[in-house]
Amino acid sequence: MNVEQVSEHSGGPLLGLNKVSKHFGGLAAVQDVDLQVWPREIVSVIGPNGAGKTTVFNLITCLYRPTSGDILLEGRTLVGLSPDHVVRRGIARTFQNIRLFNNMTVLENVLVGQHTRLKANILGAFFRPPNVVHEEAEARKRAIELLGFFGSALVERQEEYVMNLSYADKRRVEVARALAANPRLLLLDEPTAGMNEAETLEAVKYVRRLRDELNLTILLIEHKLTVTMGISDRISVLDYGRKIAEGLPEEVRRNEKVIEAYLGKGTKAAEQESVE
Amino acid sequence: MSIANTLVPARRDTRALLIKWIVGLLVPVAVFTFVWSGEAIINNALLSLLGTGNVALGISLVVQLAIFILIFYATVITLAGYLVAADSGQRGMIELWIDILVFVVVPLLLVISLGLIIGFALCAVVWPLYFLVRRRVRQALHYTPPPPLQNLRILDAEQRADLMSRAIMGGFWFSIALAVVWLIADLIFYVSGALPTILLISAVIRTLILPVAGYFLGRLAGVIALRRTIAQKNGGNGESDTDRAGRRISKRRQLEELSTTRKREEARDLVPNDLPLRSTGAQRFYLILIVAFVLFYPVIDPFLFGFGTDGRLAGYGDAGYYVILALGLNIVVGFAGLLDLGYVAFFAIGSYAWGIIGSTQLTNILSLPPINQHLLSGLFWPMIIGAALIAAFFGVLLGLPTLRLRGDYLAIVTLGFGEIVPIVFLELDKYTNGPNGIVGVYAPAFPGTNWLSATPYYYLILALIALTIFANIRLRDSRLGRAWIAIREDEIAAASSGINLRNTKLMAFGAGAFFSGFAGAYHAAKLGLVSPDNFSVGDSIIYLAMVVIGGIGSIPGVIVGALAVYSINQFLLAQLDSLAADPSNPLFAIHNAIAHVFPGFTFGNIRNLIFGVLLVVIMIFRPEGLIPSARRRRELHAGADEQAEVGALDVVPGAPGFESEVRI
Repeated sequence: MNVEQVSEHSGGPLLGLNKVSKHFGGLAAVQDVDLQVWPREIVSVIGPNGAGKTTVFNLITCLYRPTSGDILLEGRTLVGLSPDHVVRRGIARTFQNIRLFNNMTVLENVLVGQHTRLKANILGAFFRPPNVVHEEAEARKRAIELLGFFGSALVERQEEYVMNLSYADKRRVEVARALAANPRLLLLDEPTAGMNEAETLEAVKYVRRLRDELNLTILLIEHKLTVTMGISDRISVLDYGRKIAEGLPEEVRRNEKVIEAYLGKGTKAAEQESVE
Repeated sequence: MSIANTLVPARRDTRALLIKWIVGLLVPVAVFTFVWSGEAIINNALLSLLGTGNVALGISLVVQLAIFILIFYATVITLAGYLVAADSGQRGMIELWIDILVFVVVPLLLVISLGLIIGFALCAVVWPLYFLVRRRVRQALHYTPPPPLQNLRILDAEQRADLMSRAIMGGFWFSIALAVVWLIADLIFYVSGALPTILLISAVIRTLILPVAGYFLGRLAGVIALRRTIAQKNGGNGESDTDRAGRRISKRRQLEELSTTRKREEARDLVPNDLPLRSTGAQRFYLILIVAFVLFYPVIDPFLFGFGTDGRLAGYGDAGYYVILALGLNIVVGFAGLLDLGYVAFFAIGSYAWGIIGSTQLTNILSLPPINQHLLSGLFWPMIIGAALIAAFFGVLLGLPTLRLRGDYLAIVTLGFGEIVPIVFLELDKYTNGPNGIVGVYAPAFPGTNWLSATPYYYLILALIALTIFANIRLRDSRLGRAWIAIREDEIAAASSGINLRNTKLMAFGAGAFFSGFAGAYHAAKLGLVSPDNFSVGDSIIYLAMVVIGGIGSIPGVIVGALAVYSINQFLLAQLDSLAADPSNPLFAIHNAIAHVFPGFTFGNIRNLIFGVLLVVIMIFRPEGLIPSARRRRELHAGADEQAEVGALDVVPGAPGFESEVRI
C-alpha cells in the first residue's frame, strides 16, 4: 500500500483538533482542546510538566482514542484508525524519551521507517523478484540520503547499532526514521531535551530546514522557551489539560495566564509589590 | 621473480606463520586420514577401481567417494593458504595449537570412538570446561587478548603482493608437508605388509601431485583472502555510499567510525585478522566441508563407523525434522519475539494432514472406494506444501486471540493451544481414529528409490532443511523480517513507524507454523503412522529449549541447538538405562550406588531432571546460546550505561489501567 494520496485540501487546516478530551478513569488528561495547524507552519505546544502535551501527540497518532472530540487530517477524521494507518495518512512522530530499535543499526532503523512506502510482502521476501531487489536497493539509497540530511556523520556510522550512538545522534536517527515515512505532518516531542546550547542551536536549524527544504508541517512540543519563541509561527499553551493561550510568540510571552502557569500564581502581584 | 622467490619464505615471520598453521592443520587432517578413514576410503576406492581388493564398490559409489575426497583435501589445502595469508600474527602459536586441539582434534577423537551423536554431546561438556579453564589460566597469567582492528590495516600494492605470496606458500608447503607425512605413513604400512604394492605406486603419484595442487590452490586462497582486505583506494572493497552532498563515504571511513563492540564484529570479516580461524572467510571453508560431509555421508558412513549405516541414517532423519521445527519456531520467538509455548500443535496438524490424505483414512471418512496407493504416494510432494499451508492457516487462526497479549499472557494462551490441539485430534476419532491413530501412512513415491531404507529419507530431510534455511535467511533480510525485529524491539515504536502489528504478528505465526508442516508431513511418512501420543506439551518446551540454547534469532544457532538438544535429550539421556545395564560402563556402578539409597531408581526416572539441570547450567553460563546472533550477545552483555532507557509514554500519574489505554 502506498501513502494514501489525498488531494490538496484547499484552504482548510492540515490538522484540526475539535474539542478533544481524553479521560483516564476519573482524571482528565486533556480537556476540550482545540488546535489547528496549517500547511508549512511550525506550531509549538508548550506548557508545564503534566499539562497533557504528549497525550495530545498520542491522541493525534491514535495510540489513544479520544474520550470525546474529533481529530481531522485534511478534513478526514483520524479517530478510530490504528497507529500504522495514521502513518500511511501522512503523520510521523518522534518520542520524548527516544524509542529507537536498539539492536538494529542506524540504517536498519531508517529502513523500518520506510515500511509504509515499500510494497514487498512475504512472497516477495522469499522469491526476491527483480522489483523487490530494486525496491530494497532504492530504499537503502533513500535511507542514506535521509541520514545525509544531518551531514555526513550519520552516513558514516550507518552500520553502527543505535544503542552505541550519542544522545544527539540518537535523536537525529529518530527524526530520520520519521522522515522515512514521507509524512506531511511531523510531530516532534521535545527534540532538544537533554541537549546543550550548541546542540540545541543545531536542532533549531534543522527543524527550520525540515520545513523549508522538505516542505513539512511541524508540530512540536518544547520546553525551552528560547527555542519555542525563536522558531514557532504560532504557539499553543496547555495547562492541566486545557488550552489556556494561543497566538504569536510575542503575544504568548506576555500573556498573564501563561506566566502564571509556569511561574505560579501571585507572581504578578509580587512584581507589582517590588516595583512599588 | 623466480619460482624460488615465491615459494621460499624469506622472512622469519613468514616462516613462523607457516610452521604455526601447517602444524596446526596437519594434526587434524592426519587424524582424519589415518585414524579415521580418509586413507581407508581412498585405498578401497582405488582398489575397487582396479578390480582387486576385498571390497567391491560400484562405480557410482567410487565416483561419489572420489568427489568427496577431492573436495575435502582441496578445501583443507586452500584453507591452509588462506589462514597463512590472513593471519595478522598477533596471536601466538601455542595458543592456536591448543585451540585446534580442543576444538577440532578432541571432537574428532570423541566422534571416532563414541559415534557422531554421543561424541558431539560430550563436546558440549568439554568445551565449556575448556573456556572456564582458559579464563582462569588467563587471569592467573594476567593475559588479556589484544583488541581487534586496532589499526585498520590498509594494504598497499606491495603488502597485497606479499599476502598473495604468503597464501601460495601456505598452500604449497602445507601440501608438501601432507605429502611427506602421508608417504612416510604409507611406507610404514607397506613395510608392515598392510599396503598392497599397487597402492604404493599411487602413493608416489600422490606425493608428486599434491605440491602442484598446493601451489594453485594457494593462489586461489590468496584471491579469496585479498577480497576481504581494505584497499588503499577509496571504496576499494566493494560498495561505497554517497551522502547527500554526493561525497563518497568509503567503507574504510565507515569502519573507522564504529564503536568497539561493532568493530569486534566487523574485524571477523576482514583480513589481516587476529583470529583467522574464526573469520568469516574461514567459515566459508568450514561450510564447504560440512556440506560435503553431510551430502556424502551415506556413502562414507560405512568407512567411518562400520556396520549399521541404516540405523544411524534413520536417527539423523529424526534429528533433521527437529532442526526444521526449531527453525520454524525461531521465526515466531526469535524474529518476532512472540513467546510461543504451543508449537507442537502445528507439528501435529502437519502430521495429520499427510496422515489423513496419504493413507486409507480419507477414503474411510468419506466412504469412498479405496484410491490407488501409488497415486496417493505421489501426492506426497504437493502435500508437503499442502501440509505446510494448512499448518500456516492454523498458525494464523491460533495467533488471532493472542494479538493484544504480551509476554507471559501470550505464552499461556499458546501453551493452552499446545494442549488443546492434540486432545482435539484424540477426540475427533471419526476423522483421526482417536487414540489408535492412523496406521499405514504411505511413504512418498519417487521413481527408482526404495523408501524402505533410511537413505532416501535422509536426503529428503536434507532438501527440506536446505529449503527452510534458505527461506529463513530470505525472510530475515526483508521488509517483513525487519518489521518482525522492530516489533520484538519496541512494539509501540514499530506501530508508530507504520507497521501493522496485527498483520505482521499473524504473518509471524503463519510463517512459523508453515515450516512445522514440512516436518509434520515428513514425520508421518517416515514413521508410517500418526498417533496423538506423538505430540505432547513437553515437546513444545523441547522445541523452545532448542531455540533458546542454540541462540534466539540466530539461524546457525538454532540448527546447532536443535542437534544439541536432540543428541542430549532424545538420544543420550534416553539411552542411559541401556548403557547402565552394561557392567563395563561406569554408569553401571553409578546406577547401583544410587539404587542403594533410592530403590527402584532408574536413569529414566530422572531424565527430565538431568535435562532441566543442564538447561539451567547453560542459561547461567551462556545465556545468549551456543551460536548467538550478534544482537542477542549485545543484548545480554552490553554495558548498562550503553542502553538507552525506553521511556514510557507520558504517564499520567494515578491513572489506572494506563497501558490498557494504548490501542495497538
